[in-house]
Amino acid sequence: MKWARLKSPWVLHFNSGACNACDIEVVALLTPRYDIERFGILLEPSPRHADILLTTGVVTRQCADRLKRIYEQMPEPKFVVAIGACACSGGVFEGNYNVIGGVDKVIPVDVYIPGCPPKPEAIIDGVVKLLKSIEGGKQSDKR
Amino acid sequence: MSLDLNFVFRVLVFPGFTFILLFTMFCDWVERKIEARMQNRMGPVYTGPAGVLQPLADFIKLLTKEDIVPFNVKNFVFRFAPIVSFSIFVFSFAFLPIDGVNVIFGSNFEGDLILVLTLVSIANFLLFLSGWSSTNPYSAVGATRVLTQLLGYDIPLFVLALAPAFLAGSLSISTIANVQYIPFAFLIPWAFALFIITLQAELEKDPFDVPHAETEIVAGYETEYTGRRLAFLKLAKDVQIVLGAAIAVELFLGGPYGPVFYGSSDVWYTLWFVLKLLVVIVITEYLTCIFARLRIDQVLVVNWKLLLPLAFLSLVAAVGVGLWLNPLGR
Amino acid sequence: MTNVDEVMKALSDLLGNRIIKTRTLQPEKSYIHVQTGAHKDAVRIMLEQDKEAGISVITGVDLGETIELMYHIRACGTIITIGAEVPKKDAKIASITDIVPGANFHEREVSDLFGVTFEGHPNPKRLVLPEDWPENVFPLRKEVSVANIPSKIINSEVSKGEKQFSSEERLVNIVLGPQHPALIEPEKFSLKVEGEIVREVEPRIGYVHRGIEKAAESRTYLQDIYLVERICGICNACHAACFCQTVEAIMGVIVPPRARYLRTIILELNRIHSHMLLLGHAGLEIGYETLFHYMWRDREPIMDIVEALTGNRVVASFITIGGVRRDWKEEDVPKIKAELAKLKERLSFYKSLFESDSTLKMRTRNVGVLSKQDALKLCVVGPVARGSGVNMDVRRDEPYAAYNEIPFNVITYNEGDSWARLMVRLDEIGESINIIQYALDHLPSGPYRVRVPRTVPAGEAIGRVEAPRGELFYYVKSNGTAYPERVKVRTPTFANIPSFVRIAEGGNIADVPASFVSLDPCFSCTDR
Repeated sequence: MKWARLKSPWVLHFNSGACNACDIEVVALLTPRYDIERFGILLEPSPRHADILLTTGVVTRQCADRLKRIYEQMPEPKFVVAIGACACSGGVFEGNYNVIGGVDKVIPVDVYIPGCPPKPEAIIDGVVKLLKSIEGGKQSDKR
Repeated sequence: MSLDLNFVFRVLVFPGFTFILLFTMFCDWVERKIEARMQNRMGPVYTGPAGVLQPLADFIKLLTKEDIVPFNVKNFVFRFAPIVSFSIFVFSFAFLPIDGVNVIFGSNFEGDLILVLTLVSIANFLLFLSGWSSTNPYSAVGATRVLTQLLGYDIPLFVLALAPAFLAGSLSISTIANVQYIPFAFLIPWAFALFIITLQAELEKDPFDVPHAETEIVAGYETEYTGRRLAFLKLAKDVQIVLGAAIAVELFLGGPYGPVFYGSSDVWYTLWFVLKLLVVIVITEYLTCIFARLRIDQVLVVNWKLLLPLAFLSLVAAVGVGLWLNPLGR
Repeated sequence: MTNVDEVMKALSDLLGNRIIKTRTLQPEKSYIHVQTGAHKDAVRIMLEQDKEAGISVITGVDLGETIELMYHIRACGTIITIGAEVPKKDAKIASITDIVPGANFHEREVSDLFGVTFEGHPNPKRLVLPEDWPENVFPLRKEVSVANIPSKIINSEVSKGEKQFSSEERLVNIVLGPQHPALIEPEKFSLKVEGEIVREVEPRIGYVHRGIEKAAESRTYLQDIYLVERICGICNACHAACFCQTVEAIMGVIVPPRARYLRTIILELNRIHSHMLLLGHAGLEIGYETLFHYMWRDREPIMDIVEALTGNRVVASFITIGGVRRDWKEEDVPKIKAELAKLKERLSFYKSLFESDSTLKMRTRNVGVLSKQDALKLCVVGPVARGSGVNMDVRRDEPYAAYNEIPFNVITYNEGDSWARLMVRLDEIGESINIIQYALDHLPSGPYRVRVPRTVPAGEAIGRVEAPRGELFYYVKSNGTAYPERVKVRTPTFANIPSFVRIAEGGNIADVPASFVSLDPCFSCTDR
């Protein structure tokens, strides 16, 4: 059962206020050079189908409710990966008036991938680290 | 009542349920690899040797996810439509000769071609119901598109399926498969080509991919499903693809019958069946990769203005060929 | 085309003593300050003088007791500004949307952020701030600081304030976004559809609004470069270039020739990668996944070149005030030229694909048509305008960096449908490759940056750059301290948004993603 979870992690990508740089690196993961389908990772359109939520960008006031709702729509077990300096802690935009901060102010985060933007190799590294920690018995955070 | 072990074996394991399930997953892997290679990528690689176990991993993972039933759905239909649909597709396999004879001995009868095609339509209708019961606007739009497309394309499908039936002089699938000394694909190639195109539409693959248009309606009728039901929904779709290809193989490519070189004819028949099925799957997947997606109204235009008249014409032409081969009165 | 002097003469003749004063914004842009009621007449006179004029943006500046509203009109290939002041206590002014429909979103933004009421505006609702923002708190006014704004309570209930549509029961309300696989970024389009035909569209932006204009006022000029670069990761070099150009205009700094050529190269690389990104994304929207994968595979060498030049694949951080930050390595040049030559060959393959593939043409031909009159009335910019036959390009109209020394063509197509817009971008990739190759061959030697003084003297300037999506507009006002007084950014997608509504209404739902993607929206640019 754990084998199946490790071999078939489906991801959902959500941008909660990013500048697009991290997003295009995430989309670049699907393209022939990086091709994460090799690992069984598929980009799913609906939150109900996904296991891992990849969030990019700082959380703006308008997106905060949406982010929480999407997190709640995903079925257990679920994990969250925060990609980029903005998602980790607010990045360059910390302290601005429409900005709440990093993603962990809204939902629990399992993996932080710093960078502005992180290279696709770094993102793959982060996802692999997440899979390794699932293998080691990590449970998803219930909040 | 004594339990006929052979019967149980045939139904449950081979060429019954287990075989169909595993073969469906294998075909899913074949499709993903072809699609990846056409797009210059590698596709699943690490799960099992060359990624063969990937669809199995997907299925098991989905079975273990939390089951969420949204508040507003029509409960009974939402819960059971995927499984019933899947069951009907699998049941339709009973009428197709896979290793030389049907899964259940003697289950063939005149007219089982019509029965199988009807079962396919009913199962598709259940898929529509699953989307309709989700009460999500995306599902509703996806479900309506499924219905419009499938009901429309069923008619040319029936008409084209009649062409080999006429040539064989029978409406029973196993008889049609049996009489093909030369596969009908060579005798009436135009019907075969049109059948493949209609099959693309029935199986909702590009260019007729509209019900699954991710970018427009999220995941169409699958949007609200998670866990076990999603697993069955996806499996139902995959079995539908294999069933469609199997019907094409039976009707046009001579089913499992082919030269037997040595040893048991069962093994060879199965082998031929699998090979011919893979050929059809490769052709449909290839067509999927090289076309963009048409809009729903363009799909309907192609159906009513193009395929339907051509289907009738090809039936007439097939009748002509049949009469030429077997002149009336002999 | 009439020239600027004729327009100024016509304005002074017809407005007479309603003109309070004129001054110049760097570099050599005229500014006419008129009485508050006369601004509409001034705009109308300018539109009569130049038929292809349009509004670029409306800037608001907080001057203490009053708010200054600057209407930047794009006419005769340059920007002529009409200014008017309104007192803060009673901030009301007449709307110009009846003569210039393209000013709709600009006025809504100013009223959101400054609290100015535009009388006669057809749809005065919130634009960039969220629905639950407290009333009467206008962030860009100087007296409002970030600490005063009450913090947000997060719950996942549906937020209030959704637009109430016309109450006809047969219309189904479909909402695209904020999380939607078609759109990489969050924004919301509420479509009222009847069957499969779209009847009404209401866009709601502001999900990515990070308050950059206000943040720029509390960071030094050098820090601001890094801030504005991250307005949008895709066109980041253009933001940095425009900001630096504007600040250099205030300071009167002349950038050395080698730096100008290097800036041109990075800007054109930015344009190529952005267009290829978009064309691949267009493939995804119309269901043509194979095109997406091929296009992005061919885009990777460009990212490698940018990485070789600047050290980072996406956010270049290459341009600074006074020049560029690093120099070119000579040994990289032959490899780069080889990659560009290969890309040029691939381009001919893509061009033949777009011109001959039947399913692609069925999805993009005559889909999302924007006529030339609509394009001019809505004041759209960039490939959206050029795909409808409007011949505008800042690189040719007001050359910056090294564009006055490098020959290139401006591509226009007249059909105005999605296909034309995609073809404009495809051809522009070819032009960009030519520009880079020319620049590489003619790269002048010399320093790649000049030292600039620490403080920026008081002054104001306007900078314009042709970003991949269109005209990017910056207005910077300095008051002599280390922090800017006002930084105004108007991104090309913000100017193009009204055309979304025009294109989508009356078409199929299925065409909506395809036509939106041909407009190349970048919402992080729009919301700032």
